[in-house]
Amino acid sequence: MIRKPLLAACAAGLLALTAACSGGGGAGGEGDETALTYLVFETPSLTAKFWDDSIAAAQAEVPGAKINKIVAPSTDRDAYAKQLQQSGQFPDLLQSITPSNFVGAGLLKPYDKTWIDANFLLPSANTLKGEVYIPPTNSQIVPQVYYNKELFTKAGITAAPKNWAEFLDACAKLKASGVTPIELGGADPFAASMPLVGIVSADILGKNKNWLQDRYADKVKFADANVVTAVQKYRTLVGNGYFDKGALGVKYADSITRFTGGKSAMYPMGSWFLGSVPKENADNFGSFPWPTDDGSVVVPFVGGGSMAISAKAEDSAMAENFGRAWSLNPANLKALIETDGAFPMIKGKTLDDYGVTVSQVFKDSYAYVGQDNNKVNAIGWATNDDALPPGLNDAFYASAQALFSGDDVAGEMKKLDEAWKTATQ
Amino acid sequence: MTTVAPSGGTRERTSLAAGIGAVPPERAGARPTGRPRRFGGRFRILVAAAVTLVFVAPIYLMLVNAFKSQDDILANPITPPWPPTLENVTQALTRPDNLIPLGLRNSLIVAVVSVALLVPLGSAFSFYISRRRGRTKAAILVAFAAGLMIPPQVTLLPTIKILTWIGLDHTYPGLILSNLGGGYLSFAVFVYVGFMRSVPDEIIQAARLDGASGLRVWWQIVMPLVRPATATVVIFLTLWIWNDFLNPLFILGPLQGQTITTGLYLTIGQYSVDYGQLFGIMFLAGILPVLGYLTVQKQFVAGLTSGASK
Amino acid sequence: MPGTRRRRRETPDRGLALLAALALGLYLVFLVLPLLLSLRSSFTNENPLRATNDFVGLRNYTEMVGDEQLRASLKVTLLLAFGVTIAANAIGVGFAILLNRTNLSYRVMRTVAFLPQVLSGVIVGFVWQTILTQNGVLNTALLKIGVLDEPYPWLGSPNAALFSIGVVVAWVLSGFTTVVYLAALQSIPLELHDMASLDGVRGTQRFRMVTWPMIAPGTTISVTISLITVLKLYDIIAVLTAGGPANSTQSTALYIVKLAFTSDRVGYASAVAMLLLALSALVALTVTGALRRREVSL
Repeated sequence: MIRKPLLAACAAGLLALTAACSGGGGAGGEGDETALTYLVFETPSLTAKFWDDSIAAAQAEVPGAKINKIVAPSTDRDAYAKQLQQSGQFPDLLQSITPSNFVGAGLLKPYDKTWIDANFLLPSANTLKGEVYIPPTNSQIVPQVYYNKELFTKAGITAAPKNWAEFLDACAKLKASGVTPIELGGADPFAASMPLVGIVSADILGKNKNWLQDRYADKVKFADANVVTAVQKYRTLVGNGYFDKGALGVKYADSITRFTGGKSAMYPMGSWFLGSVPKENADNFGSFPWPTDDGSVVVPFVGGGSMAISAKAEDSAMAENFGRAWSLNPANLKALIETDGAFPMIKGKTLDDYGVTVSQVFKDSYAYVGQDNNKVNAIGWATNDDALPPGLNDAFYASAQALFSGDDVAGEMKKLDEAWKTATQ
Repeated sequence: MTTVAPSGGTRERTSLAAGIGAVPPERAGARPTGRPRRFGGRFRILVAAAVTLVFVAPIYLMLVNAFKSQDDILANPITPPWPPTLENVTQALTRPDNLIPLGLRNSLIVAVVSVALLVPLGSAFSFYISRRRGRTKAAILVAFAAGLMIPPQVTLLPTIKILTWIGLDHTYPGLILSNLGGGYLSFAVFVYVGFMRSVPDEIIQAARLDGASGLRVWWQIVMPLVRPATATVVIFLTLWIWNDFLNPLFILGPLQGQTITTGLYLTIGQYSVDYGQLFGIMFLAGILPVLGYLTVQKQFVAGLTSGASK
Repeated sequence: MPGTRRRRRETPDRGLALLAALALGLYLVFLVLPLLLSLRSSFTNENPLRATNDFVGLRNYTEMVGDEQLRASLKVTLLLAFGVTIAANAIGVGFAILLNRTNLSYRVMRTVAFLPQVLSGVIVGFVWQTILTQNGVLNTALLKIGVLDEPYPWLGSPNAALFSIGVVVAWVLSGFTTVVYLAALQSIPLELHDMASLDGVRGTQRFRMVTWPMIAPGTTISVTISLITVLKLYDIIAVLTAGGPANSTQSTALYIVKLAFTSDRVGYASAVAMLLLALSALVALTVTGALRRREVSL
């Protein structure tokens, strides 16, 4: 009969398939090894090789751990971690995520605080509701303004601007000299928001460190006059033509090469840009903090760090051990410093202890971390109690892009308040 | 004339099918060769060639840049690759994570097994249902047609939940199962039902009188008659499943390895500045469907055009 | 032939019924059931990262009324759906008429015309990105021949970005529409053209009186498929602009994914998904119905 061979073929096909596929799975460990999944992300400086090497090094210190690396499709590892969580595959270890997104559902396990206190310069940099989910191994300033000294000289600017008026003056001179004053990688939302992060951090958070907590408590709003006035500065920059007209079409990766290639004179970006400063003419680049009206220094600070641990990890003790080993490995820090511009925050170690070769602009930028200055939690970047509610980062980025082509500052700020309301209700 | 008279509509559409059935060159009698020409052959072919060129320009870019170095791409992406370099392609093939060979293998498994199961399921169901009549049949067909319209984002998360219940989440059998039950089956049924309508009743009844079982009639008599439908279904579903993006990304997940499409998506973020690498990977990801299309292109067009009768 | 519809009711045997039941079962489990679960979720505040999942009645649906981003995304979706459908079908008809010849060169061109349809949206999105980005191929070329003085932001200004996406999607779909219209053209009986020639009907008049009515069934298929494809579109936009700048190219499909996976609002995302489904069904059924009626009356 025809029926039998057909059905048999179907059944055989299915069986063969199941057998073939279960062979390639990553579930469970073999022998006495415990498999841990580890979510990382790759950038031009944090390459696959960096992750593989750093994993191997940390693995050597944690016997029995087998790491399965998962690479996020973009640098937005929070979004990918959420996708994985919702499809039931939350990783055991998650590199540089925003813990506040995940603690609500009890997904993360905090690190042991005595270990944190013993090992890091600013043990409370990443504290969220009293717990530390990500060891504060390094820090960043988001943004700093990097500038091209040669282009400054050509435009007749003698020193880096110290306040807003000088900044505007520099922009005008640069424009007159025929270069784009400010680089913006506007096609990538996070990069598009950099000037706005600088403005809000300097003008609003610089005056009220607790602004984000007040925003959570509904004591202040984005639509408040002081925020609108501050954000209006961004419109001034756009309106005066200080950005490339097509900046929203420029990808982040291209914005780096445009700036380092001398097509534009200033580049407000997170301090990870320091890893991309071209070695051959590193001395041509300098940095200054985003300018305030009165010239006081405000440092939008981010306690960066290594990985969070899933509370659901099969062997969370082993996961924590791996996280600790990775975090304290000087070789990892060395690579992060050199390629990703990380500012190391491990206790009792100076730059020299890592054996790194860094540029002068790195040292100058790093100096702001050690100085006693007005440090605020960079809006949208902090991962501690001042982290934004879920979805607000995207709303903030969208506003930054919208304000590049439209001038309804009050309207955009109102939208942020509404987004805040829906995200926190 | 204002309502969709089912019989009238059917007639129009099947007659279209009959007309298009004559597409392959061996039956070229119906071809419009003798049509009077409005403008000269040379002018026409120039215009056609120009439009075609505009059409394939992006594909040309994909092709030539796969064989150029990063510097050459940045300097001028339009020039032909001379001298060509194989570095992008070999580098893509020898990545330490084996992304391309594994991705191609995984995509092949998923597409082939899914389509091999969808064809018998879809055609058997269509044959069975087209021999019935009445309200239930109509309702079921409407429900299947609706399946074509459902955006995959709507059913994605619940599908994963269901797969978790039956213990097949993040597995290849799970992905294939969801392929079998989703909109793809809708499409297969949609195409087959249109064709089954035109299978003469007498043939089937004669076979039944000879004592053939329903299964045998379907497999040995009906299936050969609806071969163009099978061609349409196989070609389109293979293409769609091969190029599918959301389902493998979510249902399969990262640990099971990537299909070629999700693998490609993952590398885009990674190599956003290394164009050479990217074009190399895209070339490898795109070449199989293109070659497949070119080899079956005759049936492809025939299948597609007869598919137009559905 | 198709007229003899009367038939004796057979008793279909079990094997076939079993196979059919299997197909129906799979459809119920992997399409109907997920749809119902999604519908159920649309009445909850499901949020996997806050571990909430309570019934909130119609709150998600009432929230949609005042949701500006949703309204903008619907506008994007409908503009794209109708714009691209019209463009792709116009191009398809024109190109099909141009290529409706049998010599080898035309056959080659016909084969090539379908290629965009063969590639995955991810590849299409990326290739076009290298063309349309600020220092991409198009700007470089236009600057070189002097059409532009400075690069034009094809993907960098809200209106241009939406237009660019429309062009890319129309490019993909045109391959499909061309082949469908070619098939329809070839189904026109030669005698009809001969008669038209004898009557002295030429040019646009012939197109209007002979060609256009005769390819009506092709139009129905081609328009319906175009509409459905664009209404569901995700991957090309995701790669090309990810919805930006400033959400100006965020289609409803993208908005759903963002709600579910960035804002964690699965319940609300489900409600929006239901709206998209209803909208797709409405548009597709209305347009297809109208075209089918037109087929008959032509």
